[in-house]
Amino acid sequence: MTDGIKRRDFLKVVGAGSAGATLTGCSTEQVERLIPYVVPPEDITPGVATWYTTVCDGCSAQCGMWVRTREGRVVKLEGNPEHPVSGGALCSRGHASLQHLYNPDRYTGPMIREDGELRPATWEEAEDLLAQEIQSAGGNVLFIGGHMGPSMNRLVSDFLGAVGGNRVQYEAISDAPLRAAAQMAFGHDVLPRYDIEHAGFLMSFGDDFIESGASPVAYQRQYARMASADDHGAKGKFVFVGPRLSLTGQNADEWIPIRPGGEAALALGMANVIAAGGGNAGPYASVLAAYDVGTAAQMSGVSESTIRDLADRFVSEGPGLALGPGVGGHHRNATGAHLAALILNAVAGSVGRTVHLEGGPRSASAPYADMEAAIGAMADEQVGVVMVHGTNPAYSLPTVSGFNDAFTSVGFKVSFSSAPDETSAMADLILPDRHFLESWGDSMPMDGVMALRQPVMQAVPYFDSKQAGDVLLSVAARNGANLGAATFYDFLRAQHQASHEPAMGDFESAWRRTLKTGVAMHAGAMETGAAAALRPLDSAITFDAPSFDGDGDFVLLVHPSPRFGAGELSNSPWMLELPDPVSKITWHSWLEMHPHAAEARGIREGDIVTVASDQGSVDVPVWLYPGIREDAVALAMGGGHTDFGRWATGNGVNAMDLLPAVTEQPSGAMVTVATTVTVSPTGERRRLATPEGSDDQHDRPIAPAVALADLGHEDESHEEGGHGELQELQGGGGFLPVPAEGGAPEAFPLEGARYGEYATAHEGPRWAMAIDLDKCTGCSACVTACQAENNVPWVGEEQVLMGREMHWMRIERYYEHVDATEASHLDVRFLPMLCQHCGNAPCEPVCPVFATYHTPEGVNAQVYNRCVGTRYCANNCPYKVRVFNWYRYTDENVPEPMNWQWNPDVTVRTNGVMEKCSFCMQRIREAENQAALEEGRPVRDGEIVPACEQSCPAEAIVFGNVRDPESRVSQVVANERTYRVLDELINTQPAVNYLKKVTFHEVQSGGHE
Amino acid sequence: MATSTATERGALTHPDVEQLSDVNRDVLKILSKPGKGWWILFLIASAGVGMFLGSWAWQVYRGIGVSGLNAPVGWGVYITTFVFWVGIAHSGTLISAILFLFRAPWRQSIYRAAEAMTVFAVMTAGLFPLIHVGRLWHAYWLIPYPNSRFLWPNFKSPLVWDVFAVTTYFTVSAVFFYLGTVPDIAAARDGSKGLRKKLYSVISLGWRGTDRQWHHFGKAYIFLAALATPLVLSVHSVVSWDFAMAIVPGWHATIFAPYFVAGAIFSGVAMVITLTVVMRKVFGLEAYLTTKHYDAMAKLCLLTSLIVLYAYLSEFFMAWYSGEEIERTAFWNRLFGDYWWATWIMLTCNGLVPIMLWFKRIRHSIPALFVISIFINIGMWFERYVIVVTSLHHEFEPWAWGIYRPSLTEMGIMVGSFAWFGFWFLLFTRLLPPVAIAELKEVLPPPMRKRTKEAHS
Amino acid sequence: MKKHWLIGGLAGALTLSGLAFVRAQDAQVAANADDPQAYPSGQPIAFPHNQHAGSEPGQNNMDCMFCHFSAERSVDAGIPSVSLCAGCHQVIPGRNNPEEVQKVMQYWNDREPIPWVRIYKISDHAHFPHMRHIAAGFECQECHGEVQTVEVINQRDPVWGGDNMGWCVDCHRREEASTDCSVCHY
Repeated sequence: MTDGIKRRDFLKVVGAGSAGATLTGCSTEQVERLIPYVVPPEDITPGVATWYTTVCDGCSAQCGMWVRTREGRVVKLEGNPEHPVSGGALCSRGHASLQHLYNPDRYTGPMIREDGELRPATWEEAEDLLAQEIQSAGGNVLFIGGHMGPSMNRLVSDFLGAVGGNRVQYEAISDAPLRAAAQMAFGHDVLPRYDIEHAGFLMSFGDDFIESGASPVAYQRQYARMASADDHGAKGKFVFVGPRLSLTGQNADEWIPIRPGGEAALALGMANVIAAGGGNAGPYASVLAAYDVGTAAQMSGVSESTIRDLADRFVSEGPGLALGPGVGGHHRNATGAHLAALILNAVAGSVGRTVHLEGGPRSASAPYADMEAAIGAMADEQVGVVMVHGTNPAYSLPTVSGFNDAFTSVGFKVSFSSAPDETSAMADLILPDRHFLESWGDSMPMDGVMALRQPVMQAVPYFDSKQAGDVLLSVAARNGANLGAATFYDFLRAQHQASHEPAMGDFESAWRRTLKTGVAMHAGAMETGAAAALRPLDSAITFDAPSFDGDGDFVLLVHPSPRFGAGELSNSPWMLELPDPVSKITWHSWLEMHPHAAEARGIREGDIVTVASDQGSVDVPVWLYPGIREDAVALAMGGGHTDFGRWATGNGVNAMDLLPAVTEQPSGAMVTVATTVTVSPTGERRRLATPEGSDDQHDRPIAPAVALADLGHEDESHEEGGHGELQELQGGGGFLPVPAEGGAPEAFPLEGARYGEYATAHEGPRWAMAIDLDKCTGCSACVTACQAENNVPWVGEEQVLMGREMHWMRIERYYEHVDATEASHLDVRFLPMLCQHCGNAPCEPVCPVFATYHTPEGVNAQVYNRCVGTRYCANNCPYKVRVFNWYRYTDENVPEPMNWQWNPDVTVRTNGVMEKCSFCMQRIREAENQAALEEGRPVRDGEIVPACEQSCPAEAIVFGNVRDPESRVSQVVANERTYRVLDELINTQPAVNYLKKVTFHEVQSGGHE
Repeated sequence: MATSTATERGALTHPDVEQLSDVNRDVLKILSKPGKGWWILFLIASAGVGMFLGSWAWQVYRGIGVSGLNAPVGWGVYITTFVFWVGIAHSGTLISAILFLFRAPWRQSIYRAAEAMTVFAVMTAGLFPLIHVGRLWHAYWLIPYPNSRFLWPNFKSPLVWDVFAVTTYFTVSAVFFYLGTVPDIAAARDGSKGLRKKLYSVISLGWRGTDRQWHHFGKAYIFLAALATPLVLSVHSVVSWDFAMAIVPGWHATIFAPYFVAGAIFSGVAMVITLTVVMRKVFGLEAYLTTKHYDAMAKLCLLTSLIVLYAYLSEFFMAWYSGEEIERTAFWNRLFGDYWWATWIMLTCNGLVPIMLWFKRIRHSIPALFVISIFINIGMWFERYVIVVTSLHHEFEPWAWGIYRPSLTEMGIMVGSFAWFGFWFLLFTRLLPPVAIAELKEVLPPPMRKRTKEAHS
Repeated sequence: MKKHWLIGGLAGALTLSGLAFVRAQDAQVAANADDPQAYPSGQPIAFPHNQHAGSEPGQNNMDCMFCHFSAERSVDAGIPSVSLCAGCHQVIPGRNNPEEVQKVMQYWNDREPIPWVRIYKISDHAHFPHMRHIAAGFECQECHGEVQTVEVINQRDPVWGGDNMGWCVDCHRREEASTDCSVCHY
């Protein structure tokens, strides 16, 4: 192409590799240099990817990762299948952490503030300065740190021990109430491990375990296994209790739209019923006595019959599992709610079956109370030097918490932040830390699981960064303290050598093994112990509904964003452009409000309203959401950064401006559901930047479902799902039925499918995909994975507003039944939509230049360099999965060094070119090349794994050769639930098969409510 | 070709033309010094052309994104305007070729203008496929030619058919147009001097009006007319297949070919009325463009408008009758969806307004016809807009429904294309006899001496 | 008469120029490549391929893949690292023109990569996996020409088809390899 195509462009940036580096595609006007290695790294072959293991640090769940590098550059992150947390999958945020490695806004080196201005400095002077400041501070050092691995944790303690000072761990998202509740109930100061996979009746009292919380990927995998119908038609049930449907909530089979804070009463009411039915309430019998069904119903607003019914099923359909409120549900009595849930589990006998006190996640669970104390100390000028590492309190604390004033009052402020954030903006000294992909470290995500973090590429040269551990060591050394190691690497090794068990062979080989596999499972990891017994209540705790500040008419629900967490990932264009899994809105913030509530106030969708609490107010557009109670509004964290890089700064609003600084008692956690707000229109409007055209299927066979009861009798279920038998369009018009069990392998290609472009090719593979909608949770990890793998550019907010988003894969979300007024069944359908690679593809015959056509392997290929840009194919695509390069997005939107992330195996598209899902053609070719080199053996099933399948935490996607009856995809497709979108209407014969969602309630023909 | 009966009919056609020499005088007068009106129009047109080319250049430089197009609406104003101009082109050939073959007596004085309109309209239309592609610099890949890639265009694609249809149509109508003008150019040559004379001598191909030349001329003319006639039907059928061949609800209909052809003639005749009324005024051709001509054209409009209206209604009927939920939604959305206004403009301008043409008084009132013809032009542009946009923005996949808002650049190019057309048409009126002198004379009464004596006695 | 050949001539000229334009479009890349101006500066070191790979007496008859090490296992053939050059040239001063060898050692001592000028390249939207072609039993010469016989390589070498799709397709057809577009374009 004339320009723009810059696959491998980044190769010229550092002298490595002999792959062609080009600036201007075809034209060879200027001389192109081949830059050989001086000394070749033994583990790198140019043109061949090298994989390393490390640990994701996107959140405190610490998933194990495989990192794909090309010529020394990280190009893709994937889950490490051997790691118990990630299990081979990775969430969107995990993928996006790659964009923070190449974040163009990172600090270019250490900075020192001189008379108000930051100036670049050398590491020498920076460390000297810090050393002497600590000297003069005389032991008054305060270290504010986020989540960190055991070794770093130890180092910080040693450091503070040496120089004198104390530390506080602070994380915006923390499970402190659960920890406190577990301490009260069982006397173990741990986070319990939920065995969701083996639960039969799952109840979440506001725990958003799929998108946020202790371990999203692991819990989501477990949930998908539990909630999907197996071959015997068995399927776990999920009831969501909460005022707002989070992504987790949207996945539920039933929704109890309980008033905020009513969870405890409901749980205790249920426990009461179960106890009456013979459950063992232990020391809590007296407590439960106070919560007979009547009281519980009256306190929770849930009808008595519902409570009884739930209680019965919690036992009968068990093993039951109740999860207390997550971060998005932390109200003033959150610990009480957690305790109530644990009591319910205990009474129902679930403890030891689905709730375990061993091997639980070691996620962030430090109380915010410590932070409050620290703020006090800083305000009282008891702190000489404050150091902030791995957290951003200036942004993620309520504005009224007084952190900023206290922080600025400290004499000397140090930030280890590698990129600008609100806290480092106030610092006097900035010591940019390495990104976790550039640094050493370790992690212990749960008991008995130890994983190592290793630098998978040399530090990005633009940014002169240094690992915080090394800085601490050298600063300590400057102050004459010897912490037993010169570099953090040595320190790390020493730590592991010390804890090394001789049973596992000599240390060196064990170390290597761990680096290779990425994880070391110690003896007794995750074994389930005996059921712990309830301890009598020894401290004051209330189960009553919490109070809310202010007299506004809406309770404000502040929840972590599925995309940004608490705002750590707000500067990633991938995350900004990823449609929010719940609202599907990109880039900007929004206020969730129930349509009735809005109507009553004359508010329409897109109206910009002023949301005001006693603490402050923000202006934000309204999004009407049937999945939230009429007396509540919701705002996600992660917006409204004031100093966080070019994309995040000034984008959206920060919910923290509205929250009071309240600590939950007794856990001391930060309260996110604390206040009421008033909502008043400003009179202004804006269009919401969303790809959503309609949330209603209009009775079209797009995402049908089948009732569990109807499984097993195929003949009916055909009509049920609106999936008639496959039909072949005849030359003279009309349809000829083709024998095929619901799209079973022999249906590809249909006999006499002479309308497919591949008519002549009946041997060789036929690539196809199967997506189980009963597993898919709509988490959107596949969308980001695809974007990372296929060099899909982001287009920016104003282009999304024009309807020009470029994702090759999207998650459609259709409401079938959502009722926020009373407890009832819930039916929200998710549909991952990508190119269907139709056998009779409407896009193919209309292309005037054969830029799109059918390969002999049945893939609908798109030849970018042949495309003229008539867009006829996109018009004629009934699935609307073709996206167009309206501008030179890949040039204009991608600053250095973000283009280092481009996948060298995929052409980077220029403007005026159509593109779409290719079934990861580059991965197919890679596998074929590999097979050919190994004396021409055929490609094995499972060797080709598209990016979406690879990263799906729910294991919903399977890809393979559907012509081989043994292949996984053939096995999955041979299922009565199989259907193909719109196929019976327009006979496109897609290669992508979907397995219908299975519901507990009846669905009418066409698979609808 | 002139027959004795033609004389009388001719006499009726142009009652105010006394003798043959008047024709030369009046028509060739147009070619002499232009009046104020012409200059004003020409300046406006030139400015418009500037805007046209400027907007296009900006789009090529910046990327097709400067349009308002998006997914799902990949085609918009550009394709709308393309179809519009192709449609305009048709009536020219209809009037000059078909009516010629049918010996319709009233065509003589308007067909020259109509043909010129055809040529320039196709010229304009031909630009739009180039304007709307994402990579103009590769558009030549649509042309089949032996190349080093061993690749041919996809002959299954209606867009490739378009390439053939439009280029053929342009060639034939241009040749037909030129041939018809030769005798008149010769006439102009004889009446002019200097540079113009040189120019006219060359392009009149040494026409001397000998009997032999007339003989050949007549033969060639009738052959070309026969050749052009099927094109009138084929070209717009092919254009309609751009849509009918797709599976988009609202496009995929067998009625499209006849429906488009009728619409094309409808809009074309309307445009002829618009143009000739202006010419008539600016160049004082009242004697040559009489109500009789306009009456005939108005009837043609009336007929085609009825056909088009029928097509509209049958489309809606079929959508309902098919029972296809998606088809029904598409047409319901057409009437009451986001683009309801466009649909209602279309129905009003093309269905209701022409009903007035039933009345003779209106058919005979030039101003009324002028206004109505403008309405029809607008209505026909919106017809294409409705077909293209409303069908695309609500398709099979509800999640992917979207809204399309034309951008300024698009509007600039669309409006500019009218200027571009006008620019050429105005030049034509100054350089070539805009009324067919020779053929007009055929229908005028032969010259005879005044009967002065009897007046005496 | 006169006008006939005039018109005929015009038409002919028009057609020819049209074809010329189109051919030019195709040939653009190859043309640029052939244009000596495209490579204003020669190679940093006058590296004689024939001296290394040639089989004439006095030439070293080295295997191509001794230096282009990854051709049989990677999509890229690989450019020898400076250390590889230095490995031999520490002991081989170079018979014919030692000053050039000195340059090599200079780069090595400075630990600087040698900025070779690229000769053979295809567009980035086409993928050419070297190992597949080596595995299929092709000689390097079949695409790169008799490199071992020439001292200075340039793209005028008749064997090299430049960035010309027809040249690839031609061979793929001859060898009955797949001519599916997505084999190279993805």
